[in-house]
Amino acid sequence: MSMFRSKKLDIGCFTNIKIIRDHSKRKAFEAAEPERQALRYVIRNTTLPARTRAIAQLQLTQMHCYTRPTQIRNRCVLGGKARGVLRAFKMTRYNFRMEALAGNLPGVKKASW
Amino acid sequence: MSSPRLLRPLRPFLQGQLPLRPAQIAIPRASTQLRMNATTSTDSKDAAEKSSSKNVSSSSGDPIITRLEELSTEPESKISRMPRSLEALYLQPLRREAEFGHPTCDLQLRSYSIRNLEFFCDFALRAAYYLNLAAFGPIPLPKKIERWTVPKSTFIFKKSQENFERITLRRLIQIKDGHPEAVQVWLAFLQKHAYYGIGMKANVWEFSKIDFAKDMERSTIEETKKLLESKWEHMGHSKKMSIEDMQEFMATERRKIAGGR
Repeated sequence: MSMFRSKKLDIGCFTNIKIIRDHSKRKAFEAAEPERQALRYVIRNTTLPARTRAIAQLQLTQMHCYTRPTQIRNRCVLGGKARGVLRAFKMTRYNFRMEALAGNLPGVKKASW
Repeated sequence: MSSPRLLRPLRPFLQGQLPLRPAQIAIPRASTQLRMNATTSTDSKDAAEKSSSKNVSSSSGDPIITRLEELSTEPESKISRMPRSLEALYLQPLRREAEFGHPTCDLQLRSYSIRNLEFFCDFALRAAYYLNLAAFGPIPLPKKIERWTVPKSTFIFKKSQENFERITLRRLIQIKDGHPEAVQVWLAFLQKHAYYGIGMKANVWEFSKIDFAKDMERSTIEETKKLLESKWEHMGHSKKMSIEDMQEFMATERRKIAGGR
């Protein structure tokens, strides 16, 4: 959604629309996290009136989908691919292999044991 | 601080440019006459010896051997060695002894390369010695081995894969009975001269008197009360209740707990 997107490009890695979208989702989630947590707390708190909790439920469901943590997906910083991304390096398996063989990843060596 | 610089002071000796100065009489070890950097003194005997040794070396073409021969022929009383500070670089780092043995700082060093790690541990120990801190270690902690297996090629060629690994080596240096300020200075010094490819993590403990908490309370309790009063106003029931109100409130609470709305 364009309202979450920053006016100027604010990431330095490989960019395509999917990467930018994911980045804006991360930022939106970060901004809305306290609100989400507060609503979640209200919903789960059984000492509060049922009405308040129901309202909180509605409010939480009506929040924008970009503010949900489940919308965030790890993507490759070198190619934007979403599958086979190694968490430790933020890279897909192929890019990881290329970089590792080129010696760009500190400490990573070919293993044999 | 780079490692090749350590070798530099020895090079002139190895090349036979500077003669190893023999002592004429039994001079005390601490005397400046024995120091290697005193070779530029205007000693005619020495100069002559130097030139002769140079000639010898140039004719024979092997300065080290001639030097050694000369040394072997010289009597025992002739002592020669480097200045202590220079000599210390080639020996194990010196250590202070801990009086009480209370740990005050645990420094963990991590790296992927053993060479850098060992070198920097050595450096840290020496720095601790000169700061009058009792350092223990380096204790080798278990290696962290991370491994990744990735297909070499595209999806369908899953059969041919490649293994990669990253081994993190860890060392622990413990400071015992360190004065908190000295420990801070030590850590700051290590951070200032941080070596490439080495991560550092320190746990620092400070010891104080038993009634330290009481003192702290006395000094801060008034300030915190003032600060908190404004916050407490928003918490719980702000209005004052009469006894009747309170009884009614308790009754409703009991009803609620019993399941009534």
